[in-house]
Amino acid sequence: MGRKMGFVVDSNRCIGCHSCSMACKNYNQLNPDITWRTVYDIKEDTYGQPTRITMSLACNHCDIPACKEACPTNAYEKREDGIVIHHEERCIGCGMCVYACPYNVPQFDKEKKKVGKCHLCYERLDNGQSPACVSSCPTQAIYHIDTTSLGDEFAKSLPGFPDPEITKSTTRFIKPSIVRKL
Amino acid sequence: MKLKRRTFLKGAAATGALVGLGATQTEFPFQGLMKVDGSDQTTKKVFQNACPRNCYDTCSMLTTVEDGVIQFVEGNPQNTYTNGTICVKGNVYPRTVYSPDRIKYPMRQKGRGSGNWERISWDEAYTEIAENILKIKKEYGSTLPICLNKYSGNFEIMHYGIEGTMSSIGYTTRATGTPCWPAGIDAQTFDFGTILNSDPEKMQKSKYIILWGVNPAWTAVHSMNFIEAAKANGAKVVVIDPILTNTAGKAHDFIQIKSSTDGALALGMAKYILDNGLFDQQWLEKNSKGYREFFGYLDNNITLEWAAEKTGVSVDVIENLAREYATTKPANIWIGYGMQRHTNGGQNVRAIDALAAITGNVGLEGGGANYAQLDSWGFNYHAMIHPPPEGSEGEANRPVNMNNFAADVLAAEDPPIKMMWIAGRNPVQQDPETTLIKKAFHAMDFVVTADLFMNKTVELSDIVLPVTTPFETPGVNVSYWHYWMTLNEQAIKPLHESKSDVEIAMGLSEKMNELEPGSCTYPTSGDLNEWVGKEFNETILEQFGMNTWEEIKDGPVKMKNMEVAWKDGKFRTPSEKYEFYSEEAEQFGHHPLPVYVEEMKSTEDHPYRCITPHWKLSIHSQFQDLDWMEAINDKPYVEIHPELAARHHIKADDLVKVYNEIGYVTVPAKLTRTVQVEEVVIYETWYKNLNYNVNYTVKAIPADMGEKATGMPGIAFHDNFVNLEKV
Repeated sequence: MGRKMGFVVDSNRCIGCHSCSMACKNYNQLNPDITWRTVYDIKEDTYGQPTRITMSLACNHCDIPACKEACPTNAYEKREDGIVIHHEERCIGCGMCVYACPYNVPQFDKEKKKVGKCHLCYERLDNGQSPACVSSCPTQAIYHIDTTSLGDEFAKSLPGFPDPEITKSTTRFIKPSIVRKL
Repeated sequence: MKLKRRTFLKGAAATGALVGLGATQTEFPFQGLMKVDGSDQTTKKVFQNACPRNCYDTCSMLTTVEDGVIQFVEGNPQNTYTNGTICVKGNVYPRTVYSPDRIKYPMRQKGRGSGNWERISWDEAYTEIAENILKIKKEYGSTLPICLNKYSGNFEIMHYGIEGTMSSIGYTTRATGTPCWPAGIDAQTFDFGTILNSDPEKMQKSKYIILWGVNPAWTAVHSMNFIEAAKANGAKVVVIDPILTNTAGKAHDFIQIKSSTDGALALGMAKYILDNGLFDQQWLEKNSKGYREFFGYLDNNITLEWAAEKTGVSVDVIENLAREYATTKPANIWIGYGMQRHTNGGQNVRAIDALAAITGNVGLEGGGANYAQLDSWGFNYHAMIHPPPEGSEGEANRPVNMNNFAADVLAAEDPPIKMMWIAGRNPVQQDPETTLIKKAFHAMDFVVTADLFMNKTVELSDIVLPVTTPFETPGVNVSYWHYWMTLNEQAIKPLHESKSDVEIAMGLSEKMNELEPGSCTYPTSGDLNEWVGKEFNETILEQFGMNTWEEIKDGPVKMKNMEVAWKDGKFRTPSEKYEFYSEEAEQFGHHPLPVYVEEMKSTEDHPYRCITPHWKLSIHSQFQDLDWMEAINDKPYVEIHPELAARHHIKADDLVKVYNEIGYVTVPAKLTRTVQVEEVVIYETWYKNLNYNVNYTVKAIPADMGEKATGMPGIAFHDNFVNLEKV
């Protein structure tokens, strides 16, 4: 079986600080309105009593990437290691991928008139470094791993995350513990 | 050469560096996946920087610079507290530096608040400022009509050169005090003799952690790593807060307390500990003064039923918390700054300190009542300390209360205040009583502000001077929480016409002396890198285990022997003991014991408490204004409990007017059960495109303490009572 590089999002350790999201922008020098990684609040009453918990999401580097399926110019590539990358020079900015992705991952850059998205900092991985988001997380709540190695203790979804089965998302989650309000 | 807009903005900074390079190289980082040829033709270097903002974490950073342009800012792993990561604000720094919104050159405004700005040269700016200073000196016979208001915008040590600018022209009026934390500082000064916390990295050794009115998930993210480590080692984490914060979301237990009643909870816990013999008699005998008097106070005045009634926390919960805290060692309490921004905030901190003391947690690794520290700040303050010119009138600077700034400025007489110099502060956005603050600004003859961005204070100034970011000028930084020291190297040339505050002082001095020889003592030149070295002395070198100051160039260094505060039991109080009974407290008008002082209550007209805590995407008015940050969040909100919202027919996203007798702020509603029914929460910050300022409703009510250690009492920011109206 091939490798499936993807992210593990540990919502038990995520503190909702947004460092990952801004580190991505800082490293990739994205235009102001473009965000490749986003920190979401999980709805406060999802687990019964109200709390504040978060999950950090970027590209899910799907097994069946809807972006790739939808792209008319073959701008997307599913690498052997599972990373889904977007070749900007082949992109005509038609936005088909933007509509196709159930997770709203590809972002249309009005200035470039092209789409862009998280590519798991593959060039950093190739250099033996971690993705910018991973290395910037103060609580080690995100990491990248060959997700084929992960067992059932890792969830495929958290409340609010779209159905991961449609595109076979490789993102895996560790569920948050819920604080006891006394 | 096809440069994209942002590439161009950055490229514009690298004057000369682009010459001779083809377009493909310069576009490298912006081209997504395109391969770049000839990357060996570029010059790439990594610099050490430090984040100088008013923050616990004071991050050690590494800045990658290519062809004179910042490409990436990341954490420096040599600092084991910040541990190779920086927060959301640190990660926005490349945009801070290259933001199109930066003030680029000195400007003069024709008509304060008119927005009618014209570009002027530095020479024109210096001339106009110097002439105003000399005119005031001639008219009033002294420089006392000139008032400096500088504080926390940049805590890098050379930035104390701003105070030096004023000292070198004569005796001036100074905004004195600190808005943020003084009640707690005085409380710990009465108890321990000063503020001193254990190395926060040692929190991982705790078996029981109480995070009391502190939200590190937003305001000290790196500490969360050590709290997580403690959890992994089996520690229990309890958060006590009026708001179920993101930090509370990470705890085992959350206790939602009525604001400003923290002292009642602490005293209730202490009573339970006393009644059940869970205190550390041996520690108390050896190390403390007045514990019998304190126990007498508990016996005669405190019941758990009273504490429960005050705090809204049930007797069962108080008992259980007290038992767990007193019997699980080491137990650490982290006392936040939010909980002392009350008219009884200092007393509440004293009551919490007492808990740590009676249980023998003071001086224990992984224990303590941790608030802050200033022990690692023993620099020379060379950039700051300059004598007044010979023959200066007067004997000393004149203090006005920073925490009641507008009223004090307007009331000053003999001589009145005529000119203000503002640096590292944004009082028009951040001080209480905005309406009065504006009045004070308009009452001035002349206002000079040095800043990075066109904020609300700059809008009410006559001259604005563009300052450097941390990446454009050298310096050295320490924290008021961890014990690391970081060199801040100049990584790039200053953009546009920006200058550091020390360079501004030098330039002004040159002009002053040109117009009136001997009128300013500030040096007119100097190598700023050498000036960093002049900040060091033998004591600080020894504290940090350095032989020469240059060793800091190899990376951040940590102060020695700060793992456990008060381990030696040598307290810095008059008795050299931990003082439950403090005569000093009495001298400053407080009860000598940590007693409960009644909290402020709501009124019929203004029935809801309005808390205005720090926001996750800013430090006061810094960072949230940047477009990269706006992409995460571009509008404020007021957090209202659904029950309260229903009372006022407010639905989610409805615009709500939050008002009291001094002003109002209009914000969309966010309905949430993480806040209490009778309290609303609005986060203080500045959005550059919104007319949003929480301080229109905040009164300059003094906190109970702060005068001893900081010269002025703090501000009871969270004793703000309002009413609501759907717009």
